[in-house]
Amino acid sequence: MRVATDIGGTFTDLVYVDDSGQVEVAKSHTTPPNFEQGVMDVLDKSEINKESISTFIHGTTVIINALTERKGAKTGLITTKGFRDVLEIARGNRPDLFNIRYQKPEPFIERYLRKEVDERLNYKGEVLSPLNTEQVKEIVEYFKNENVEAIAVAYLHSYVNPEHEKETVKLIKELWPEVAVSASHDVTKEWREYERTNTVALNAYVQPAAATYVNKLHTKLTDFNTSSQNYIMQSNGGTTTFEEAKKVPINMVESGPVAGIYGAAVLGELIGEENIIAFDIGGTTAKCSLIEKGEVKVSTDYYIERTDRNAGYPIKAPVVDIVEIGNGGGSIAWLDDAGSLKVGPQSAGAVPGPVSYGQGGTEPTTTDANLLTGRLSAKNFDYDVDLDLVRDTIQGKIANHFNMTAEEAALGIIRIANSNMLNALKLISIRKGHNPQDFTLVAFGGGGSMHAPALAKELGVGKVVIPIASPVFSAWGMLMSDLRHDYIKTYIKRLENLDLNEMTTQWNEIESEAYQQFDNEGIKQEDVVFNRFADMRYLGQEHTVKVPVPAGEWTDEQLQNIVEKFHQLHEQNYTFRLDDTGTEIVNLHVTAFGKVQKPIVQKIERNTTLDDAKIETRDVYFENPNGWVATDVYQRELLPVNEEIQGPAIIEEKAAVTVIYEGQSLKVDDYGNLIIETGAR
Amino acid sequence: MLMNETKIDPFTLEIVKDSLLAAGDEMFIALAKTSMSPIIYEVLDYASGLTDAKGQLLTQGNGVTGFIGMLSYMVKQTLNKYGENDKLKPGDIIVINDPYGGGGSHLSDVGLVMPIFYDGELIAFSANKAHWTEVGGKDPGSFTNDSRDIFQEGLQFPSVKLFDGGKLNEGLVEIIQANVRFPDLSLGDMWAQVAALKTGERRVKEICDKYGKDVILTAIDNQLNHGETISRQELKKLPKGTFSANGFVETDGIGNGPFPIKVEVTITDDEFVCDFRGSSQQVPGPVNCSFTGLASAVRTIFLAITNPDQNVNDGVFRPLKIIVDDRSIMSAERPAPTSNYFETMLGCTDLIWKALAPHIPHRLAAAHLLSVCSVTLSGSHQDTNEPFLIVEPSVGGWGGADGQDGASGQFCVLDGETYNVPVEVAETRYGVMLDEYSLRIDGTGAGEYIGGKGVIRSYRAMTDGQEATITYGRNQYRLWGTGGGLEGSVNEFYIEKADGEVDGPYGVYPRYQLHKDDVLKLMTATGGGYGDPLKRPADQVAKDVKNEYYTVDEAKTLFGVAVDPETFEYHELDTRK
Repeated sequence: MRVATDIGGTFTDLVYVDDSGQVEVAKSHTTPPNFEQGVMDVLDKSEINKESISTFIHGTTVIINALTERKGAKTGLITTKGFRDVLEIARGNRPDLFNIRYQKPEPFIERYLRKEVDERLNYKGEVLSPLNTEQVKEIVEYFKNENVEAIAVAYLHSYVNPEHEKETVKLIKELWPEVAVSASHDVTKEWREYERTNTVALNAYVQPAAATYVNKLHTKLTDFNTSSQNYIMQSNGGTTTFEEAKKVPINMVESGPVAGIYGAAVLGELIGEENIIAFDIGGTTAKCSLIEKGEVKVSTDYYIERTDRNAGYPIKAPVVDIVEIGNGGGSIAWLDDAGSLKVGPQSAGAVPGPVSYGQGGTEPTTTDANLLTGRLSAKNFDYDVDLDLVRDTIQGKIANHFNMTAEEAALGIIRIANSNMLNALKLISIRKGHNPQDFTLVAFGGGGSMHAPALAKELGVGKVVIPIASPVFSAWGMLMSDLRHDYIKTYIKRLENLDLNEMTTQWNEIESEAYQQFDNEGIKQEDVVFNRFADMRYLGQEHTVKVPVPAGEWTDEQLQNIVEKFHQLHEQNYTFRLDDTGTEIVNLHVTAFGKVQKPIVQKIERNTTLDDAKIETRDVYFENPNGWVATDVYQRELLPVNEEIQGPAIIEEKAAVTVIYEGQSLKVDDYGNLIIETGAR
Repeated sequence: MLMNETKIDPFTLEIVKDSLLAAGDEMFIALAKTSMSPIIYEVLDYASGLTDAKGQLLTQGNGVTGFIGMLSYMVKQTLNKYGENDKLKPGDIIVINDPYGGGGSHLSDVGLVMPIFYDGELIAFSANKAHWTEVGGKDPGSFTNDSRDIFQEGLQFPSVKLFDGGKLNEGLVEIIQANVRFPDLSLGDMWAQVAALKTGERRVKEICDKYGKDVILTAIDNQLNHGETISRQELKKLPKGTFSANGFVETDGIGNGPFPIKVEVTITDDEFVCDFRGSSQQVPGPVNCSFTGLASAVRTIFLAITNPDQNVNDGVFRPLKIIVDDRSIMSAERPAPTSNYFETMLGCTDLIWKALAPHIPHRLAAAHLLSVCSVTLSGSHQDTNEPFLIVEPSVGGWGGADGQDGASGQFCVLDGETYNVPVEVAETRYGVMLDEYSLRIDGTGAGEYIGGKGVIRSYRAMTDGQEATITYGRNQYRLWGTGGGLEGSVNEFYIEKADGEVDGPYGVYPRYQLHKDDVLKLMTATGGGYGDPLKRPADQVAKDVKNEYYTVDEAKTLFGVAVDPETFEYHELDTRK
């Protein structure tokens, strides 16, 4: 049996597929700081036979927590002489333009733990000064005295020639086998010393915590099952083994959230949709990502703690491209100093949560607005809902200011929240040169189905899919994932004088490294699938375009095709092409999949009628036409297959609700997904 | 209540306002994406936005701080020249870079303005302004530190029509082509600007289609009033009275200076008045700043003082008033050269900052590097023999403030989302190697909260015949501290020649010749300190010593803390008691 568990902020989710192909789910509370306990709890709660687990896949927040809570190891850094302050100078940018008291992100490694050695390469990777090993020994001694727990090594131009870094790591391991050590070229082979140094610094910083966690989880799992294959979800939408995960733990930084995006792509394949906008609304944020022709976009333009006010910290790990905004079910509605209504980014969180939870929440949230307008039913809350308190709160905090009823104000909150989310969806679609009409919106997470039909119509998307297991869809995505590694290497070459033999050698080197890594993970060569990309640009420009390129040795004709493909993609992304300007490769990127057996999703059999599924008819407050409308409410699990329901209507399921509007229609497809026609042209 | 003035529901207005802001963001992104020039898509040295039909700014996307408010002056200039007798029509685009006539900065920053019509009525303007790599003039790259009049600085566009009713003025394009050194780049940027303007026009029209023109016009008024309301609320919280400061623009680049400048700031419940009268007259070298530049300088610091968080529109600036003598260094008129206007502009921002820092410590700080610290380095690459050109600002120290140490290694306040060039990128592209890129540790900027560190960036020339033009303002007067904090240092550079000779320090220098293995050592200033250094917690001082931000001696003499250089154990000295 294949089982996936996903640790979230509030809940730890579990999804498995039994032998008959049925998808089953379970939820239990997340248990910080001993997260592995929550995993054990949810396994118990699901009542599965733990001995029959053949594959265990896990998404974890341990890495991102260690970073955001600053609970990593005491870390030392070794750099090229003259450059230990690169980590502190960073890039000098200040997103908060008018703030004279801008607080620059503090480096994760203090200055006294940043040490320099004599060694120098030029940009071609040629050695100008050899590595001074005596200095490395002195630094190791110094770090020992300072009780350092992890060491990062980052030298200039190591992405071209990693020899000095390798030599340093080897020496450190000889001198001090117990310390965690990582070299920048092992974590990223891209140029730009600040970004690479920061990435390896953060990798070293989380390494001991990651190892401890993975080991503890492994021990607990082997208590009852020694034969299962255990995998961890990485930020690139693929998995890796526990052992490999410990080597470059920073690759797990977005372990959980990306699985839902990947799941949307898998689901699209199943139902014949290859262009998808994946949309995930949780308690505090909404995330979206664009999938084109079935391809989940992965890049290394990832930052933590980056906002429009803060520069954040770059991590050059391969991460699925996600745009995230501070709008979720728990987002707080408030009035600014001049009396305009705003929603988010502050969230009521899990505790105290929205007013409707009755756990001491005092600020109105999107969830409260959805309750007051009849979109949510008080009966479906885990708490005793005091509807009057919810109404009074919205009346007092929002509605009175505008001289209106609480329901009108609640609808206002929903509209403003939708407006925020719509801007995020536009950011990944229209503003990147895509036409939303060519896409299907796959919505999941606790709040995705609630808002998606309205948003899709605004955006001009014709079809919305609410997948099976939508509230725990990230875990479902994990079940369907393969092993994956991304190899990205800066390799600056102009296309007009490209040495095709050397090119082939470069690709082969990367791919044999991949075979080696998959071999460590027990994946045979015939199960490994490669896709090659080149990040390309016009000479003199900075920004690049990721161009799919063919496998094998390139011919001159293929080279011409690659250049043409680049021109096309550049025009799509940046509106123009420069046919007479030279082109240049910046990075080589190989995505490598280790294919594993995945569950087959079965079609559902259901002999029910709409009457069976109908729960009630209740009044719901809508915007257009404005007012209370008697709306039929259905139980998702009982809906008959392929029977159409006209909006307005509400579909309830455990932990999620779907709202469709007048002019929209919905049906359940063969697999149990909800398919909504939004009425957009 | 504002909301009661209209029957349109407040949430629709809010959503329309958001849509206008989103349109502004989209225009901003569109320009970076379509530009061919690194100074635009890397340094983000441009701004774009929307104004109402009167030229009041509604939303502005900024990559750099210094352009704030300049768009509205371009639109107002357009209205002055073409507004009467229906001389503006759909499809018009006006080009402006005249610093004294709506442009505001220097000739390199070229602005475009497009009126937006709906149902035959002028309802808004789409505008942007971007630093072109080339606009002609005496030096490659156009902006220079030793021009003597505006004619040496390049081609001037005195608000003329680039498009007339949608028809391109081809003669103008040919003139540009003939007068600039890299016409492909300059015209490429011009087309990118045109495309971004059209994006703005399209979005505004879509919003009109969706919500109706009246809703949009109401939302626009509402937006401006919202900005004003927030601004006035903040103004009420400020200390009232008159505050003054004096300072200098150190040099005009051609041997004159320093030039005294001064301000008197009067804050009342309703007004924020900045009176610069009595400052130096306009000067022979290119540090003159036009009134529009001065207005941006004042707006920048006004926002920092009132509400750095909000979306900026012209409503926010309604309480502002600026008084200045004619033809002064900060209200220069034709034909004064303005290439390095930003140094005077920074000086004006700094004056208000300095006058108010002791009184508004929760929003202000001690002095920061106070110069763009611009570096131009040209030559040829050692391997390819291809020519290269580095044009970059430099990072330096920011001042300490109540409750926080100053940031180290940041660009000056007039920059913003500006990124330094990575060492690995520089060494690949340019004919240089870097000997170091490190914090400058010079013992200055002590305080309860210390000034941020400047940096040392050392370029080693890898070929003969390289040429460096450096404009490091604030080279003579050290950065001021506040609240008892000590002064920071100055910006300066040295040349360590291959034969061992050391030349310098210098601040502003045109075209310094470098030979192979000469090292250009650029050093930016440490920011001023905030508060009495003797009040800095002793354990923090010991940490500073351990981190090598200050020496054992400095800990003793400046901070009154004795720190053991081996164990970093410490004790407080009598000077602290």
